[in-house]
Amino acid sequence: MKKIGIVTALLLMILVLQAPRIALGLESPVLSTEELVEHSLTWDGETVAFEGEVLQDVMVRESGTWLNISDGNNTAMGVFIPVGTAVPAIEHTETYRTGGDVVRVTGVFHRACSQHQGETDIHVASLTVLVPGSDRSNPIHPLRFAWLAGLALLLALAVRVYYRKRPPTS
Amino acid sequence: MIRRVWKEDYKIIGFYTGRVTIGVGLLMIIPMMTSVVFREWAPVLDFAISMVLTLLVGYVLCVISRTRSTPGLTHAMAIAAGSWLIAMMLSGVPYMLSGHMKSFLDACFDTMSGFTTTGMYLIQDLDHVSQGLNMWRHLLTFVGGQGIVVLALTFLISSTGGAFKIMAGEGKEEKLEPNVRHIAVQIWRISIVYLAIGTAALAVVGMFEGIKPLQALFHGAYIFMSAWSTGGFAPYSQNILYYHSFPMEMVSIVFCILGSYNFALHYAVWTGNRKEMFRNIEIVSFCITVFTTFSLLAVALMQRGIYSDAVAFFRRAFFQLMSGHTTTGQQTIYSRTFVQEWGPFGMLAVTIAMAIGASAASTGGGFKGLRMGQVFKGVVNDVKKLLSPERAVVTTHYHHIHDNVVTDGVVKSAAVIIVLYVLIYLIGTLVGMAYGIPFHEALFESVSAGSNTGLSCGVTSASMPALLKVVYILQMWLGRLEFLSVFSLFGFIATGFRSMRRARAAV
Repeated sequence: MKKIGIVTALLLMILVLQAPRIALGLESPVLSTEELVEHSLTWDGETVAFEGEVLQDVMVRESGTWLNISDGNNTAMGVFIPVGTAVPAIEHTETYRTGGDVVRVTGVFHRACSQHQGETDIHVASLTVLVPGSDRSNPIHPLRFAWLAGLALLLALAVRVYYRKRPPTS
Repeated sequence: MIRRVWKEDYKIIGFYTGRVTIGVGLLMIIPMMTSVVFREWAPVLDFAISMVLTLLVGYVLCVISRTRSTPGLTHAMAIAAGSWLIAMMLSGVPYMLSGHMKSFLDACFDTMSGFTTTGMYLIQDLDHVSQGLNMWRHLLTFVGGQGIVVLALTFLISSTGGAFKIMAGEGKEEKLEPNVRHIAVQIWRISIVYLAIGTAALAVVGMFEGIKPLQALFHGAYIFMSAWSTGGFAPYSQNILYYHSFPMEMVSIVFCILGSYNFALHYAVWTGNRKEMFRNIEIVSFCITVFTTFSLLAVALMQRGIYSDAVAFFRRAFFQLMSGHTTTGQQTIYSRTFVQEWGPFGMLAVTIAMAIGASAASTGGGFKGLRMGQVFKGVVNDVKKLLSPERAVVTTHYHHIHDNVVTDGVVKSAAVIIVLYVLIYLIGTLVGMAYGIPFHEALFESVSAGSNTGLSCGVTSASMPALLKVVYILQMWLGRLEFLSVFSLFGFIATGFRSMRRARAAV
């Protein structure tokens, strides 16, 4: 009886320790734009997860809302949130001075969406804000003022020479 | 016999190139003011430095080459090609200062792509660039479409002697009016009126599609400049796909088509000659080649069964084909979709459309519909001659603004330019293949660069070999200026060296 108790306790412990891993295994894989476009046939119609920064324009339309999510250098994916899908508010979107919210969306990937006339998109089932957006620093380099002053001085000199000296006749 | 190059020749080229450079410098006020509006202070400083530097180079060129002589044809060709080269380098300075470029070569690639209305880019993290830099990118393509020399002619070059030759050097050889400055003004008037209409139309569509008003206005201006100049840039990396909007695509494609038409045709229609729209050989040629290439593409895509309905087919296939044929390069699909989904046959149809391209003296690139029509009529004329009695006088006509006779000279000139285009397409393809790129992808990208289209199947990136970047830059430059100007510049440099050697030998 004691042995059974120990084995059961061990099994329970293993189960508790492994639970997050099992849960992750059941979750949709987080994919990149590159992976989705390169292997579009493989992922077409599958539920996938996608992470990235929300780009500037949140476009609210009759049937739902369009977001564009950037997941790297010059790669982004269009994400459609159908009307009625409960998602948290997007507080920050990308601008030159603001970083957009970093979100994780889960939804069905379409290589040529029939609802949106052939678009490559993800229809969102759930959306989570991973990191809220914040101000971005765009520092001004002080040395550049010196460059500007130096070049402006030279330009003034060149303009003065140009307009003072009369052109020779041909 | 090739004539010697004298000091005065260099002065003429230097002086007029300096004037055009000053024009490019003054143009930087617009992106600088855009950055002021959006309170982007670092880009304001970057544009101030770039503007002062560009003006400095322009004025120094004018001071050291001061002359009152007017340019001849050879000078004019060299001025046009040289101005584009200097403009490419100086316009790259704000790109470099923005920190979005990996190298100066990449910056030059992007500015040459902008000026030549190609639309390929190597800029890093495009989704995070400032409004000022985005304005600069689109302004380059807008000004490049009309011609930077045309811009300089309108505002800066007071003497009009020889000016028409410079203008012809950058592919604007249509004589709309007798006075060259009036021609330049007409070209700008047509473009500015369309700019106002196009920006307003696209801004309204943008607002209806959920974009905030100020953003919609700027997006409208960017997309219009990209479409009208057949450039293909967009403020975000997804290009037109960013908007997920059928109306936006439709308005944009209308301006792509209008921008691909000959300025002489626009002028004829503006001045009341509306029949020209239906008679012009370029329009006829355009309709035939669009129909043919679209049929090919339809067969290719239907075999693969990608798009489920006619609207989807129209928004993806027809839009991409028109974008390629007008040499715009706007995309409603991802670059790699061409390779992964459309396949070699579908890509070939778009490649043919890009190779043929737009109209002569338009903002577009490629062989041009006029030349296709002239060569076709030439072949028809030869066949008619073969079938006619030996003594019969056989003439064939084509209509381009006026009725013109198809002569051997016309056909030969058109055929030579077509052969040169094919040559640069092949060279780019071979260099691409030498780096291990599959044939159909290398051909697609090379034709896109040479015809100033800008559609990409994923080959163009900052990580591609430097030699390939240089080849694409040369293709864009040669394709936009239609060879003769660039050849004249090289010829001038070579003759200059030979003259120097002879002078030394004489000493």
